[in-house]
Amino acid sequence: MRSAAFLVMFLLFVQFVPFASAVTVGEADDAVAHAESDLGSAFAAVAEAEAAGADVSVLLAKLDVAGGFLSDAYVALKAGDYENAFSFAVACSDAVDGVAADAALLKLDAEEARAGSFVWAVVGSSVGLVLLVAFGLLGWRLLRKWYFKRVLDMRPEVGGVAD
Amino acid sequence: MNFGDVKLLYLASCLVLGVIILLPTVMQVISFPKGEVFSELWLLGPGRMAEGYPFNVFAGLPYKVYLGVGNHLGELAYYRVCVKLRNQSEPLPNSTAGVPSPLEPFYEYRLFLVDNATWEREVSFSFERVAFDGNVCRVGGLVIDGHFVAVDKVAVWDAERSGFFVQLFFELWLYDADSSEFVFHNRSVNLWLNVTRGL
Repeated sequence: MRSAAFLVMFLLFVQFVPFASAVTVGEADDAVAHAESDLGSAFAAVAEAEAAGADVSVLLAKLDVAGGFLSDAYVALKAGDYENAFSFAVACSDAVDGVAADAALLKLDAEEARAGSFVWAVVGSSVGLVLLVAFGLLGWRLLRKWYFKRVLDMRPEVGGVAD
Repeated sequence: MNFGDVKLLYLASCLVLGVIILLPTVMQVISFPKGEVFSELWLLGPGRMAEGYPFNVFAGLPYKVYLGVGNHLGELAYYRVCVKLRNQSEPLPNSTAGVPSPLEPFYEYRLFLVDNATWEREVSFSFERVAFDGNVCRVGGLVIDGHFVAVDKVAVWDAERSGFFVQLFFELWLYDADSSEFVFHNRSVNLWLNVTRGL
């Protein structure tokens, strides 16, 4: 009798106690918001590196993966699957871990490369201009000489007629 | 050709040569205007053409379309495509005011595109838990790209067009790094679907 009462109590407990997930709504929400922020920050860093002229294709692949995880996290969150939402959000944050730092390094490299290229361009242009002025003056002298020689050669000569 | 003309021609030649020599340096200092900046959003039918779009849809049967985005913003962009479903009485995005539909997206895609890059993917969907009751059709869920999502949408019989119409639409949002949030990019494409009773 006692065991039967215990069994009934147990069944009632199982029936009426809601399923207790290991992850709560709040935790899942926080994880998704955190992942959203991480992905946004990573994107901003990668965008800056790309604008500086860096090759960010590897980082973009990581952002794509992270974006997929975040989309899945939102779908799971809407479906009330908080555990999966949490897992996908954490996977998103993990996928972009270190991306901002890598982007900052790439940006620095790209800026240095650009500065170096600018210095070479300035040096090249300066040398080119000096050479242009030097050869320009020389060329001008030669041209003038050639021109006057040609004009003098074209001068009509007065020939005497022998009677 | 007199001497003055020769002098002028020589000076002009030197000037042109000087400009050519300076060009690599000038190019690095001056930034040229980007031209028109915009993004593209498109929807193609199952044959990847602007034809053959699904229209009469049956519960449980898969349908597919192709969704594409193109970036011509002159810089790297982070897009979010929100997938929404509405019935005839619910609001669409207002392109004149640049306002998105207030409906919650039931699915989304996130993508990162460099300038002049495009993204296109197949979107497969099927209507699930569809129930008809008189002049009302209730769509309980959608399976999109293999994910089940609850939508609970009610479509009322449209006597004029003879059907239970719902509209699947895609909104393009763009991430703004300054405000750290997505803003509606005023681009949307949609697909009218007539939810039809079983075969």
